[in-house]
Amino acid sequence: MRRGLLALALVLGLAAAQTVGNEPPPDLSPQVFEIAKKLRCPVCRGESAAESNAGVTEEMRRQIAEMLAEGKSEDEIIQYFVDRYTEWILYEPPKRGLGLVVWLAPVIGLGLFGLGLYSYLKTTARRAKELEGVSDEELARVEAELEEGEAT
Amino acid sequence: MRTLLGIVLAVAIGALLWWGMQTKDERSELPSALAGRPAPAFDLELLPSYQEAWGERLDLEEYLGRKPVILNFWASWCYPACYEEAPILEAAWRRYRDRVLFVGVNTQDEVDKAERFVAQFGLSFPNVYDPRGKVGIDYGMYGVPETFAISADGRVLGRHAGSIDAEKLEAMIREVLP
Repeated sequence: MRRGLLALALVLGLAAAQTVGNEPPPDLSPQVFEIAKKLRCPVCRGESAAESNAGVTEEMRRQIAEMLAEGKSEDEIIQYFVDRYTEWILYEPPKRGLGLVVWLAPVIGLGLFGLGLYSYLKTTARRAKELEGVSDEELARVEAELEEGEAT
Repeated sequence: MRTLLGIVLAVAIGALLWWGMQTKDERSELPSALAGRPAPAFDLELLPSYQEAWGERLDLEEYLGRKPVILNFWASWCYPACYEEAPILEAAWRRYRDRVLFVGVNTQDEVDKAERFVAQFGLSFPNVYDPRGKVGIDYGMYGVPETFAISADGRVLGRHAGSIDAEKLEAMIREVLP
């Protein structure tokens, strides 16, 4: 009986200790970080809400954990932050509108580079081919003309 | 033709780099996602020094739709921005207290440090305590200090990120006054 009461007191004590203060929940599931990775840290540059140690991102992760516990889906949680911060909060720009330009820019850049390289190689190959087609007589004639030019 | 194309390309790349360097503080220029929408209500504990005059808690719901509100997010660790704007907020509150409610939201701070801050500036408008910074996220706050203007019908009309000066605060107050 006494042991039972002691165990109960210990459990209640631990439970109370969990709720005291404003510390973040000790164990956040990997799913929390998966979702946080998709959100920007509002006070950092180039960091997601999963990587940052800023106070606001700690709270974001805590809210994500709470919403997951309430049974909300990933899309609903992300929408919750978009409703408050606009699409600026998305770590990756959306694949539409101006965001699409950001996504396509590397592909377009690579395409333009490839086109330039192709055009350069084609021109070089054509010149080489033209030179191959010059006969010995023609070469002798050009050389003679050059020599004449140097003499005068 | 080829030379012209090269020049155009070089100028375009240069312009892009220059534009990239111009985006200095994008957060202060971002519009609030709440602009024109009802202000999120909250019910938070007041800092101890305000409890005698305002009660233990402040429920914003009781004021939304009845009176314009200037909502200011701050923290004692936010130096120097929060320290610069605190006397400006207090002076404006003293001037407009009959017509506008000022509410300070102490964010992710410690009570004793927050109390030292309000004592240092003699802040007489109510200041609530939000240790988790939950309300800040509800308002889409990027970082302290940030100030929101809420109209008499309870809609968010404007947001200012960073330390607010007297001129900007005055403009915000005029915007929310009926």
